[in-house]
Amino acid sequence: MRIRFTGAIVGLAGAAVLTLAVMPIAGQAPQGGRAGGRGAGAPAAPAAPAAARPAAVARPARIAGHPNMNGIWQAMGSAYWNLEDHSASATQFWQLGAIGAIPAGQSVIVDPANGMIPYTPAALKKRDELRAGWPKSDPEAKCYMAGIPRSNYMPYPFQIVQGQKDILFVYEYASSNRIVHMANHTEAPVDSWMGWSNGKWDGDTLAITVNGFNDSTWFDRSGNHHTEGLTVEERYTMQGDNVLIYEATMTDPKTFTRPWKIRMPLYRRLEPNVQLLEFKCVEFSEELLYGDLKKK
Amino acid sequence: MRTPLTGALAAGLLVAGAVCVPSLRAQAPASPPKSTIKPVPRTPWGDPDLQGIWSSDEEAGVPFERPMGQTKAKVDGMELEVLLEEREHQRVDTASAIFGLTGGGPPHWYENWGRKSARTSLVVDPIDGRVPPLTRDAEKRQARRPNPMGSFGAGPFERPEDFSLYDRCITRGLPAVMFPAIYNNNTRIVQAPGYVALTHEMIHETRVIPLDGRPFASGRLREYLGDARGWWEGDTLVIETRNFSDRTNYRGAGAHLRLVERFRRSHRGLRYEVTIDDPHTFTRAWTAALNLTPGRGLYEYACHEGNYAMRNMLSAARVAEAGRAAR
Repeated sequence: MRIRFTGAIVGLAGAAVLTLAVMPIAGQAPQGGRAGGRGAGAPAAPAAPAAARPAAVARPARIAGHPNMNGIWQAMGSAYWNLEDHSASATQFWQLGAIGAIPAGQSVIVDPANGMIPYTPAALKKRDELRAGWPKSDPEAKCYMAGIPRSNYMPYPFQIVQGQKDILFVYEYASSNRIVHMANHTEAPVDSWMGWSNGKWDGDTLAITVNGFNDSTWFDRSGNHHTEGLTVEERYTMQGDNVLIYEATMTDPKTFTRPWKIRMPLYRRLEPNVQLLEFKCVEFSEELLYGDLKKK
Repeated sequence: MRTPLTGALAAGLLVAGAVCVPSLRAQAPASPPKSTIKPVPRTPWGDPDLQGIWSSDEEAGVPFERPMGQTKAKVDGMELEVLLEEREHQRVDTASAIFGLTGGGPPHWYENWGRKSARTSLVVDPIDGRVPPLTRDAEKRQARRPNPMGSFGAGPFERPEDFSLYDRCITRGLPAVMFPAIYNNNTRIVQAPGYVALTHEMIHETRVIPLDGRPFASGRLREYLGDARGWWEGDTLVIETRNFSDRTNYRGAGAHLRLVERFRRSHRGLRYEVTIDDPHTFTRAWTAALNLTPGRGLYEYACHEGNYAMRNMLSAARVAEAGRAAR
């Protein structure tokens, strides 16, 4: 009796192991390999009846009484390389020739007036160490979520999806995104890469407090950093139809001697059919992250 | 890998069916309830409002394809009790068996798995609840694919590309991302004039879908989640997706895959249906469905950022190789 019972248990466990192999990918066929036959024939599922296709949707100036910030936005300039004033310089990637060089840029830091990040001495030393370790030290090289404010001025577009409720920011880089809680503000339940965003309307300005960060994101490609104590106060204000003035004030007493603030315009992408595309960069980071463990 | 489990489930259900026939007979068929469906809420710009966090947790545990021997799409009464008990056993066994394995969290991560649904398969068309057979061409392609199970397969694991897109935290792909996984089965819908955005918690990705009637982007542009366009048919949101990357592999379908998804409000949440069409892969188009219910929250799923498993699995494979070489 006991033996049979044990047998049943083993059988069950076997089934469980099989399930666990299948369960996480339920509904998902295993990946890999190339698909796509060469046979002829058009797909058979019905497409949209032409009548169901709507005409172009008008963009209202205001939504639920607030400025309509919907759109695909992108920063210009070279703040993504370095928020502070920086001359053009070479990188170690000489194989790329002039393509591998860093373009010059003027500081986007409007406070303090000297345009420099007010680091504590220890934090400045850490910044220089991180900078010396670039690019491997840079979370962007590893395709890690870029955090706030960095995600807003990377050389990729992002889309604001604004209805009458919570507002969604969707970033092309790394498929990252964040929801801005416009009602029901709560504390961050846990630290995260993109932080926890609580927003409100201050007149026609969208004001967002972001905190609950981890200590692993940077501000640019130059090692500018913070701790998990960072709070970012963001302000988005429309200037005409196609420019969004972006301001962000950073407070992190463990890293900075005082709060500091950046300001830059974000520009609407105006191409008629512009849409966010995929930049799923994991596959571009794998050689850097796992290359040492490949079969030689 | 699926067959032994399906067989066991089917056997269990057959036994259960035999036992509970009298009680089923005794039950009077319920008369259809009077319509209690509230008017569909609208956004300020007049679209049906589907916004919110929607979970497929209640459908977790429902087999994707209907087990052999089960003829009903849905069960009730004692048959349902037995079915749910089966699933609960399965959940408990799985949760303890998976604990400590790569990707397997502690048992309480699976608390919400497979509790309530009376459905016997997620596939609803064909009516037998089973995915139609692959074309001969697709069968050949599938047979040629190396290591189709990724980290659940036997390897070899020589480089990151030997793992699945899911193992690598690249994507669960479409329509897979809609179907329940072991946890984080949440989708957030946010709408704006001319757009609907669906954020899937697992792995974290967002589809921003234009509703403004624009044509599809060039077919030369291929993406893991394809190129999607949406429109409203009455109160139903319809999304068509095509132009998938040829590295996508959904049950054998890739670059030729075409999906038509439908979302509409139901009495308890959202009804979701997806029709999967690829004449290069399936002998006919087929449809799966989910009932989505209000979710409790959606958090950042930093999959790649926390992907220690990739380094560990590759490292283990190299150690195993060195061991074999030393022998």
